[in-house]
Amino acid sequence: MSLLVGGLSLVVGGQLIYRAVLNEAVSRIRLDLNAAREIYLNREKHINVALNVTKLDEDFKSALINLDVNFLIPRLEDVAHEIDLDFAGIITRSGMTLCRMGSLPGSVKKNELINPIAHLALKLRTMVSGTVVIEQDILLAENPELAERARIQLLPTPRAAPRTEKEETSGMAIASAVPIFEDNRLLGVLYGGILLSRSKEIVDRVRETVFQREIYRGRSIGTATIFFKDLRISTNVFTPEGQRAIGTRVSEEVKDKVLDEGERWTDRAFVVNDWYITAYEPIEDILGRRVGMLYVGVLEAKYVDIRRHALSVFFLITAAGLITAAFLGYILGYRILKPIHQLISVSNKVSQGDLSPEIGPISKSEIGVLQKTFGEMLSSLRERDRRQKAESENRLLQSEKQASVGRLAAGVAHEINNPLTGVLTFTHMLLRRKDIDEEMRSDLETIAHSTERVRKIVKGLLDFSRQTKIEAELTDVNKLIQETIALVENQALVRGVLFCFDPAEGLPLRTLDRSQFQSVLMNIIINAIDATEAGGHINLSTGLSVWTNHVSKKGIEIVVSDTGCGIPPENLDDLFDPFFSTKEVGRGTGLGLSVSLGIVERHGGTIRVQSKVGRGSTFIIWLPLEEKAE
Amino acid sequence: MNILVVDDDQIVLESCKRILESEGFSVTLSPSAKDALKKLDTSEDPNRENLKLLLVDVKMPEYDGLYLMTKVLKKWPDLPIVVMSGYPTQDTISDVVKKGAAYFIAKPFTPDELLRAVNRVIKKEGL
Repeated sequence: MSLLVGGLSLVVGGQLIYRAVLNEAVSRIRLDLNAAREIYLNREKHINVALNVTKLDEDFKSALINLDVNFLIPRLEDVAHEIDLDFAGIITRSGMTLCRMGSLPGSVKKNELINPIAHLALKLRTMVSGTVVIEQDILLAENPELAERARIQLLPTPRAAPRTEKEETSGMAIASAVPIFEDNRLLGVLYGGILLSRSKEIVDRVRETVFQREIYRGRSIGTATIFFKDLRISTNVFTPEGQRAIGTRVSEEVKDKVLDEGERWTDRAFVVNDWYITAYEPIEDILGRRVGMLYVGVLEAKYVDIRRHALSVFFLITAAGLITAAFLGYILGYRILKPIHQLISVSNKVSQGDLSPEIGPISKSEIGVLQKTFGEMLSSLRERDRRQKAESENRLLQSEKQASVGRLAAGVAHEINNPLTGVLTFTHMLLRRKDIDEEMRSDLETIAHSTERVRKIVKGLLDFSRQTKIEAELTDVNKLIQETIALVENQALVRGVLFCFDPAEGLPLRTLDRSQFQSVLMNIIINAIDATEAGGHINLSTGLSVWTNHVSKKGIEIVVSDTGCGIPPENLDDLFDPFFSTKEVGRGTGLGLSVSLGIVERHGGTIRVQSKVGRGSTFIIWLPLEEKAE
Repeated sequence: MNILVVDDDQIVLESCKRILESEGFSVTLSPSAKDALKKLDTSEDPNRENLKLLLVDVKMPEYDGLYLMTKVLKKWPDLPIVVMSGYPTQDTISDVVKKGAAYFIAKPFTPDELLRAVNRVIKKEGL
């Protein structure tokens, strides 16, 4: 996921960076072209100013008036030398060339053509400066060397517009011409200029000032060119052979746009032998014709490098971000997810029954609180589990005890009853005889009574061992208690014990075995009567309650409490054991409570006892409410 | 008036004989269900014609009282049967009554209790 995001941002970012770099390069090259034009125009102004200064000189003027060529020529050469002119000369007001720099006095022929810029200044009677195209014959007249410089072989150039001629013989120059007046009388025209063909001056100055000789892999980054028409006549773009690319031409596309339509061009372009970010603009001559172009370009390789560099920085930042994100993710995973995973596996273990799994180190964050709570939950689960185990063990022990005692009782009862039949039969048969004395009769009666007692004990044993089915019917517990009280009330009255029954209202009906349940109530109430002295009370009440041991199950509670002698704590545990009895011999079998508990448990309930010696005992019978069938 | 008493315990047989004879019944004793069936099947038995009542124990080795009862009632449906048991559960009693016993008496019993039961059955049968 994070890789996808990273990759996407890399692609988008790369694209944005490429655009930004290209835009920056293009806007920079426009500024560079402006600077190059300034240098070009400055050169023109420079010539103009120098010529103007020269014409104001009084000696110069008087020499012109006197046509003193011997004075004028050295003077022209001084000026030309000072500002590096390629040509300079003076035209008379009649349109004849008076003299030129580098020529001997009187060498000028009468029919010679005059320099076009001087011609224009003479015609307009004002100073003219700018770019000018000079034909070969004029160049020859000015200086044969200049004509030779201007002659440029056209080199075959791919993508250039077709041209029929093999070479260019005209030259392009920057020149200025100033008319010289004396009291409003035109004396002549002073002119001078530089030939741009094969000149290094302007293009190299552009490279040095605009691009500051910036070098990229052994090559100058910035290049400048002056075109005459579509021909490179002055340039510092080099051919692969290391020559200045003079004689090569511009592509037809650029020529159409700049030279023919007169617009600027800025774009990346393939120049001579490399890709450049380029800018072109047209050069107009003094007559307003588009005669050439000014070009500046920077190696695209530099920007490609900048872009590559920026991209790699961007990539590094992205990668660092990804690594940081992954690292943070790992930290996050370690600090938050790990404890959570551990908790999940712990819960799985718990659900499989392991209540003591390893929770792991407690985290310092909020997860730690969860872990602690979970741990507490586990320990309370363990505690509950332990309690339930103990309880069920207890219950199992109890029921096992009851079952074995039951089997024993059944066996014993059956075996005893036969001989008992004999004892009873023959005792009674003896008692029927009339010929026995009183003493014997009394002895026989004692035997009969004792045997009766044995019979009762055995009957109790049998009752205890009996596993009769519950014959349940819908019963009002309150009413059943009332009926039971009625049965034992007389017995209580004889003992001087009072009943007090507080039935709960709205107690739901419950299905139970009436006769069995009544015998439970009877048993507990008779025990209470037996434990209570005259004047005591037996309080009975009913209610709804929740038995916490049975996972919050709601049930009916029957409370029987007496103000009797109470049960010593050491006896409480044995209370429900079969044959446990504190009653004097012959009054109880010790089976009542264990039989009662068995009955209540078969109804799903239980019996609880609270007692304090001397204060009395409380028996609580709890019966769960039945789940209503839907 | 002959009564056939069937029980695997000698003391019970002796007790029954003593009680019933004291009231003028003639008593035949049998220690097992098998023996009792044999006695009933033997037509030469002088008491056979006189047999008015069968007193039988439930729990006996080999064939129990219930088996004997069903066998006897199949052959002599009119013969009243009193069942006695030292282990009188509710299930046993209802089972016995369902199978056609005229009366049930729990062991141990006093002479009066046995006689009351026997007399009641004989009177009811109109004998």
